Amino acid sequence: MKRRDKMFPYLLLAPSALVILFVLIAPLLYSVYCSLYQCTYMRFTKFVGLDNFIKVLTNMDYLKAFGRTFYISAVSLVIALVLGVLFALWINKYSGITAYAIQLLVLIPWVTSQVVGTLLWKWIFSEDLGVLNYLIKQLGMAPLKVLSDPNTAVWVLIFVMTWRIIGYAMVQILAGLKSIPKSIEEAALIDGAGKWQLLRYVRLPMIKTPLLISTIILTLSNINNLTVPLSLTGGGPGTATNVITISIYRLGFESYQFGTSSALSIVLFLVTLVLSIGYVKAVKYEV
Amino acid sequence: MRSNQMQVSLGTLEKWKKWLHIYEVVLFLFVVIVNLAPFIWGLLTSLKPVREVLSYPPKLFGSQVSTEHYEEVFRGTFFTGFRNSLIYSAIAIAVGLLFAMMAAYAMSRFRFRGKKLFFILILSGIPLSIGSAAMVVPNYTFFSSLGLTNQWYTLPIIYVAYNLPMAIWVIMGGLESVPVQIDEAAKIDGAGNWRILFGLVVPLSLPSLASAALFIFLGAWNEYVVSSVLVSSASLYPIQVSIYNYMGFYGIQWGPLCAAATTAVVPTLAVFAILGRMLISGLTAGAVKD
Repeated sequence: MKRRDKMFPYLLLAPSALVILFVLIAPLLYSVYCSLYQCTYMRFTKFVGLDNFIKVLTNMDYLKAFGRTFYISAVSLVIALVLGVLFALWINKYSGITAYAIQLLVLIPWVTSQVVGTLLWKWIFSEDLGVLNYLIKQLGMAPLKVLSDPNTAVWVLIFVMTWRIIGYAMVQILAGLKSIPKSIEEAALIDGAGKWQLLRYVRLPMIKTPLLISTIILTLSNINNLTVPLSLTGGGPGTATNVITISIYRLGFESYQFGTSSALSIVLFLVTLVLSIGYVKAVKYEV
Repeated sequence: MRSNQMQVSLGTLEKWKKWLHIYEVVLFLFVVIVNLAPFIWGLLTSLKPVREVLSYPPKLFGSQVSTEHYEEVFRGTFFTGFRNSLIYSAIAIAVGLLFAMMAAYAMSRFRFRGKKLFFILILSGIPLSIGSAAMVVPNYTFFSSLGLTNQWYTLPIIYVAYNLPMAIWVIMGGLESVPVQIDEAAKIDGAGNWRILFGLVVPLSLPSLASAALFIFLGAWNEYVVSSVLVSSASLYPIQVSIYNYMGFYGIQWGPLCAAATTAVVPTLAVFAILGRMLISGLTAGAVKD
């Protein structure tokens, strides 16, 4: 009986542990193995050691793709955080059903399918038939080359990625604001703090954790985003929006080079892992 | 004199308040429009007659409400994708909830070696499964080396695994409010471990189970990239792949695409509207601790 009790928690954990091991951990280890081989069409022919890593990390195309990824992710993150804080401060004034309704509304882009959201934006942005260019023409301006001009395409990609994540940032920050005890804010106001001082010295320090968690989760989500760039621009025009996930995807599923695409995936995974560790450290929990 | 001044300033204050209100209404409308624009425009497009989708200038409404596009997508591959995703999600929810409930119970009620390690694994798995592009190639190569791609169970396995960490985390949060005394009392009465879990604790954890189910559903229903490489027969495609395929080789079929996209969003919005509060508290757990 005693022995069975001791085994019980392990029995409870076993199914989850096995699934996570089998679908998340084993594939990554297998990818490390693949990345050490020359491989086309899933045939691992020659052991090449770290050559694949050297190849991808000295290739300017991939380095540029990493650069683009970080640039696009960072710009999108900053916009989402700034607007997230502003929205949260605005909604914080309301309570009850109004605040709840606005939260639901801004979370819709986060909970709905990225394929659906992106493709429907693409329809609005369509250059000859899209409603955006129609409105621009009605205002008497020249129609935009929305997705065919490299510079605009980058901003459109940033727009759609940011549109998706603002709600997440806002909801996190709002939860932080709501958790600030009213007495602290009132005490600050009685002591003569202005609106800015209240924000700078009371509110911002108290929402550090939600800000940090949003930063980590959203950076991770942006860097790892393949669905949005793939459905919106496919990396084009030219290489303007070719982020690293597009490179991995094309290398693997269009050129069937699974050695090098595994190597690139491992590099991306390591970046992700660092962010995940940050997340584990940021989250408040007790075991 | 003095009271006069007061009145003036009060008057401007009132005016200012009124303006503030208008400015807030405008802001609110702006937020509504930007957040919903693609869905609204997609819905309007999907209801236009086939000839009018590509007409220029674009009109808000077609000459009549037409269900042609919906009939087309439900006759075609989209219906298969819709049905498949319902089945995949149902399997993922059932299996995911069972596994997550067991794991969360172990984590919140027992002390054992390796607990902290497993906990960190779960926690680091939450962000990993949110963004999965780094997992696409590993999942594909590993599954295809074992011959597990393109099977009816391929995607349910993936969906369960990706969403387990979040589900465990949410249910663990819910278990905090289920008093341990209940377990202990039952134990003294001679109830077995499994009986306590499924007979007592599970019925008391229904809210957090619903919240976890919502996260699993959203993850399974919305996943596109990994699904698109792990199954290759049209009969196994999930809904997102069948929508994406309206971006055909000969150009994008906007009418059917909008109808398929609108249909795909409806179940998401329905469960979100019902369980939204749970989703928000699940998302923000860990960011704030009360």
